[in-house]
Amino acid sequence: MILIHCPYCDEKRAELEFAYAGQAHIARPLDPSTLSDEEWETYLFIRNNPRGRHHERWRHIHGCGRFFNAVRDTVTDKFETTYKAGEPRK
Amino acid sequence: MSEVLTRIDPMPAEPFAGRGVSVRQAPPMARFSLRARQAADLEKLLGVSVPQKIGTMQTGVMCLGPDEWLMLAPHGTKIADGAGLSLAVTEVSDRNVAILLEGPRAASVLAAGCALDFDKFDVGRATRTIFETVEIIIVREAAERFHVEVWRSFAPWLWTAFVTVAAE
Repeated sequence: MILIHCPYCDEKRAELEFAYAGQAHIARPLDPSTLSDEEWETYLFIRNNPRGRHHERWRHIHGCGRFFNAVRDTVTDKFETTYKAGEPRK
Repeated sequence: MSEVLTRIDPMPAEPFAGRGVSVRQAPPMARFSLRARQAADLEKLLGVSVPQKIGTMQTGVMCLGPDEWLMLAPHGTKIADGAGLSLAVTEVSDRNVAILLEGPRAASVLAAGCALDFDKFDVGRATRTIFETVEIIIVREAAERFHVEVWRSFAPWLWTAFVTVAAE
C-alpha cells in the first residue's frame, strides 16, 4: 500500500485515507464574465496530462479532512513531495 | 399509530469475550464537535488547554484537524455555545457510539482492518482513520485499551467485524 505524507498531520498514512482531487494550482478567474468561451472552457475542462511529474490536489478525507498539494510521478506513482494548500508550487 | 417510541441499540449490551481481547459497548457520553481557527478561543470557552498537535488527546479533547476538535465528556454534560467567540460548538452525543477493545490482542484486532502502525501509536494518541470501509476515530487510552468512535449506523457492522476477529 502506498503511504502518503500529510503535511498537516505531519505523518505518513495509508493511501486509503486519502482522496484524489484533480490538478493543483488552477486559479479561478477573478471576473468570469469578461472571459471568452474558449478561455472559460480552458479553465473548466482543459488539464495537463503529463508523463512524469504532476502537481495535484489530494484530500486527507479520513484523517484531518484537509486538502493539500502533492507532486506525483504519473509513471512510477511515487510521491515526490506534499505541501500545504496555499504554498507556492514546488 | 404507534404510541410508544422504542430505542434500538445498535450493538448488544453484553460484552463479548474473545481470545485475548474483550469487545464492549461504551456507556453513553456527551460529545461535542468543536471548530475554531484559533485554539486560544477554544481554551477561553472550555477553561482548559487543548491539544494543538493533530492526532493527540488531553483532558477529554482530541485534535482531529488543524481547526477541528472532538470533546468527550460524561453523559449529560453541557457546555456554553461560545457566543461572541469565533468558533462553532455542535453537540454530536448521539451521532457516535463507542466500542471499547481491551486486552493483549486489542491492537491486533484493530490491525485486521486498519493500516495504522500500532507499535508507533502511543498512549494518548487519537486519530480519525478508516477500518475496512468505515470511518472511525481511534483513541489509545492505555497500552492494551482502545476507545473506538463510530457513527451509529455503522456500529452493527463494526461490532460484527471486531467480534469475528476477536473470536479467531
